[in-house]
Amino acid sequence: MTVSSPSEGGGVPASRPDAPGRLASAGRMLVDAAEWFGRYIWSGWVGLAGLLCLAAAWQAGHEIYGSFILPAPLETIQVLLGLLQGPELARAASETAWRALTGFLLAAGIGTLAGAIAGYSFAAMRIMRPIVTVILGVPPIAWIVLALIWFGSSGGAAVLTVVLASFPISFAGALEGVATRDRALDAMARSFGASALTRFRSVTLPHLLSYLFPAWTTTIGSAWKVTVMAELLSNSGGIGGELATARALFDIPLVMAWIVLVVAFALISEYGVLNPIREMTERWRSAGLPWGVKR
Amino acid sequence: MMPHEKAKLVLQDVGHSWLGRTVFEGFDLVLRPGEVVALVGPSGCGKTTILQIAAGLVEPLRGRVYRNYRRHAVVFQEPRLLPWLTTRDNIAYGLKVSGCAASRRHAIAAARALEVGLDPEDLTKYPVELSGGMRQRAAVARALAVEPDVVFFDEPFTAVDVGLRRVLQDLVIAAAARAHFSALFVTHDLAEAVRVAHRLIVLSAIDGRVVDQRIIAGEPGTRDNRAIFDIVESWSHEAVFAELFDADRRVSA
Repeated sequence: MTVSSPSEGGGVPASRPDAPGRLASAGRMLVDAAEWFGRYIWSGWVGLAGLLCLAAAWQAGHEIYGSFILPAPLETIQVLLGLLQGPELARAASETAWRALTGFLLAAGIGTLAGAIAGYSFAAMRIMRPIVTVILGVPPIAWIVLALIWFGSSGGAAVLTVVLASFPISFAGALEGVATRDRALDAMARSFGASALTRFRSVTLPHLLSYLFPAWTTTIGSAWKVTVMAELLSNSGGIGGELATARALFDIPLVMAWIVLVVAFALISEYGVLNPIREMTERWRSAGLPWGVKR
Repeated sequence: MMPHEKAKLVLQDVGHSWLGRTVFEGFDLVLRPGEVVALVGPSGCGKTTILQIAAGLVEPLRGRVYRNYRRHAVVFQEPRLLPWLTTRDNIAYGLKVSGCAASRRHAIAAARALEVGLDPEDLTKYPVELSGGMRQRAAVARALAVEPDVVFFDEPFTAVDVGLRRVLQDLVIAAAARAHFSALFVTHDLAEAVRVAHRLIVLSAIDGRVVDQRIIAGEPGTRDNRAIFDIVESWSHEAVFAELFDADRRVSA
């Protein structure tokens, strides 16, 4: 049995857009981007209102239990501002940030790649699923103990713990995204002679992203937490190390200041980096919402 | 080596089965230039499988497929538009796949959209913002945009209402006459087949074999409603079409 394929070639001749047209479209894109950025910042007010509610509850807790149990938000901020003057904050923060981001990139990269492969290949999924379940079943604290033995008191222990603790999330997201891809759309793309790469880029990837962004958001959030935990336990500097010192000194406002700093990092990485990228790539989604696409 | 020199598409002794169950066996088809062939049959007779084999979406288990054209397009039963692309980019999708420059494919997409009855402002909308009929119009425009030599229609207008179905059928007839493409039109609606096609192939639900083949008098587009109604009415009394109209008989068989 043989099937001859339609003869390739004979495509529509390519033509280049004229220069003024290009300039105009570039200008329009710039205006659109500025408009979008303004709207994104403006929508931040609602989020800020939510955070201030939390700060109010914090203040109430402080007034009930006193400074030793729960220092006031304002006091914490003052301590944090004081820290900003000294050198230890920059050092600790950059150490922690480097570890958390390395861990995140490795976890998201490995998890996404392995998950996508498992999504395409049923056999790979059958093999990888139990492995991931086992890795997920080992508590992060146990990984820290193992990583400490393997790496000693260095950043490597924190990075390894982040990767092992959070790559299963990206794995599951990518697996689910690829496995639930629309085969009907894929057949449509094939009917136009689209290559496997083109089909992945135009049909599977946009669908996959809607599974990946929540997974990546969870991964970056847990990366910060696990890094600080690993640093605290392995005594390897960073914000975790500073937390351990502050705890030893019973300096509760200082403990709160470091905690606020970690939370700020987590907020920035989610709302400052991942969410804007998500909004840009998933603009079409808002078309289905009652208020439509904001153009 | 083509068995028929001038034919655009030839299916020779094609057979297929899904999970060991034979759907049809020994199917032959010759599609000539500019010819619209309708494939009718009750659901489950394998007509969609034949179309998928002809379009290269499914590899046949038996037989040969010969193609003698540059490019084809498929209009599916569902619109199958990409939800993350605007109508313009959806219509231009086939052109983009074949490497056409952005400005040129946008111009072609806009022209095709107008031809199928979409408004210029629909071009920047996403598929969710379009009605079902508009989406199917966009799907037809997407197929026509690549200037295909052969178009495969897989029950394309089953989900749209009667009035719109007429409009879309007329649109296909006009496009076929203008662009002179060949088409394989799968449908279970005899009236639709009689309206759009030159030739009719009737499949049986029992073993997927060809029960009958006949030429429909006159050119598509020149037959008026009365003529179509008369043809359908007289044919529906014949035994070969009984399965199409008689669900009980199909079950007992």
